[in-house]
Amino acid sequence: MPNIITANLLRSGDVVYFAGEGGWVRQISEAKVAYDKEELAELEEEAQRDADQNLVISVYAMDVDLVDGRPEPRSVRERIRATLGPSV
Amino acid sequence: MYRYDEFDAAFVRSRTAQFRDQVARRLSGEISEEQFRPLRLQNGLYLQLHAYMLRIAIPYGVLSARQLEQLALIARKHDRGYGHFTTRQNIQFHWAKLEEVPDVLDLLADVGMHAIQTSGNCIRNTTADPYAGVAIDEIEDPRPWAEIIRQWSTVHPEFLFLPRKFKIAITGAAEDRAATLFHDIGIRIVKGKGGETGFAIYAGGGQGRTPCVAKEVRGFLPKAELLSYLEAVMRVYNLHGRRDNLFKSRIKILINALGIEEFRRQVEEEWSKMDRVSIDLPQEEYERIAAYFKPLPLVPGPITNEQVAARRKSDAAFDAWMRNNVLPHRVAGYGIVNVSLKKPGMIPGDATAEQMDVVAGLARKYGHDEIRVTYQQNLVLPNIALADLVAVYDTLAEADLVTANTELISDIIACPGLDYCNLANARSIPVAQEIARRFADQSVAEDIGKLRLNISGCINACGHHHSGNIGILGVDKKGTEHYQITLGGSPKDDAEIGTILGPSFPAEDVADAIETIIATYRANRLEGEEFLATYRRIGRDPFKAALYGNPEAGTRSDRQLQEA
Repeated sequence: MPNIITANLLRSGDVVYFAGEGGWVRQISEAKVAYDKEELAELEEEAQRDADQNLVISVYAMDVDLVDGRPEPRSVRERIRATLGPSV
Repeated sequence: MYRYDEFDAAFVRSRTAQFRDQVARRLSGEISEEQFRPLRLQNGLYLQLHAYMLRIAIPYGVLSARQLEQLALIARKHDRGYGHFTTRQNIQFHWAKLEEVPDVLDLLADVGMHAIQTSGNCIRNTTADPYAGVAIDEIEDPRPWAEIIRQWSTVHPEFLFLPRKFKIAITGAAEDRAATLFHDIGIRIVKGKGGETGFAIYAGGGQGRTPCVAKEVRGFLPKAELLSYLEAVMRVYNLHGRRDNLFKSRIKILINALGIEEFRRQVEEEWSKMDRVSIDLPQEEYERIAAYFKPLPLVPGPITNEQVAARRKSDAAFDAWMRNNVLPHRVAGYGIVNVSLKKPGMIPGDATAEQMDVVAGLARKYGHDEIRVTYQQNLVLPNIALADLVAVYDTLAEADLVTANTELISDIIACPGLDYCNLANARSIPVAQEIARRFADQSVAEDIGKLRLNISGCINACGHHHSGNIGILGVDKKGTEHYQITLGGSPKDDAEIGTILGPSFPAEDVADAIETIIATYRANRLEGEEFLATYRRIGRDPFKAALYGNPEAGTRSDRQLQEA
């Protein structure tokens, strides 16, 4: 199952997604997708470096669906989180 | 209301300065998130679904105009223009930025406020009757005691690392408007045999995954001995409360395990051995604190007012507001004005900065500088002269704050749910909004009458679903939001935990289910009988039958049962 990495920025608390190459983005569609365990382990390691550098907190991997090649969240929780605000 | 003394003010300033330094060290990387997390939680700062959330203490729900204006300023300057009033009479800002939080805490300290003990395993904000000091059914004003408990419990070194969080509520009135029996400790001011006032002490109440109604520990406690007795209760809990299992760590679990008689015996034994004199408050200190809460010098006036009467005749909305939201004050010629934060379609408990400013302005101009926050997530202007009601109404109306639904079905308690909260399984707010819209018709809502409908987005029950006459609990069923319905809960003197009616409903069917429940109530009620009374008389079967029908019949209810 495809995965991406998400976190919150330390300073602002903003929800962000890991886009690879040390970049964190607000839009989930721009997140870098790991297609297997090895790729996910690599992504997690890279992302963890930014947690160690105090850029992000609460780093975790999440399942996604691919729609037109772009990641979309699977769970209700992550769908709401990805809209970057409440559903109401 | 109480004003900080020099010690209070200096302490809050020093804590704010300390946290500013901790935040700076976190931002520079000097301390890790693991090290920082308990520090930020001790200052009310959580990480939620979308952002940090800052929870600010409003001791026993009492605010001055200046304080509410400061909250409005914070909403505007440091958040997204609104705040969320909670079931602990506190306020939360849902978009706090770590780097700005020290500035927010400074702004709070400027008005004698803070976010200390709004998180963690300590004694949390003590809640009280929102009509304290003004209610007609009050034996004695509980606010001096709420303030005394606040001072006693603030950074009490013995009780900062309890097995779990600890909540105390106090009321001095005949009607329990503070849900005291759903607290770790509930305190009621009662009259003794000789007519003297004292406290009845209850313990072990709470909601969450193991809902319990508090049990009486002591029927009458002389007032002067409150603190030592509370300390004895806390000591027994602190010693024996379970620290090995988060789900069994609250005092209610301990009391259930020991039995109330054994728990009481241990408390009394501890109490008998204590050096009470060094713990209990000297009479002079009680009097110093009580002086802040002495009754306002209000001049009694006529209980009718021509301007109000004329407006009631000509304006049905005003009339409905008077009927539902304005309650009699202990001083004739005054009213208690409930300011509803429950307009159908809006988010329960949310107030914009503009609305906060409007309410603060009214408190200053007409309300003797006082505002209360209720645990039902509304605001109260407790001291409004009848002659000012029209002006107050018109100003509130401009700010969209005159929904005439106090204690009606659309006056819904709802936690932030999955729209904001990290712990939630399902959303609460959209469900509350849809139900409130269904019952937005004033005559329908009033015909249904007094009814508590409470919604929680998870079993932690911040939305008090267990104590709702109708309770709704969000659950995760195979990745979709479902809702369990309970009936028969009550937060008052007749406190009761609701009973689950049957299998849960998908989100889109919840409002229909509530309509079915209400239709069943209306079909079965006796003249003038409130929902809870009807439920208690006829039991849950008629409601169950109406909702789930006969499984053989192949109705929509059948599908719901099969999905369960």
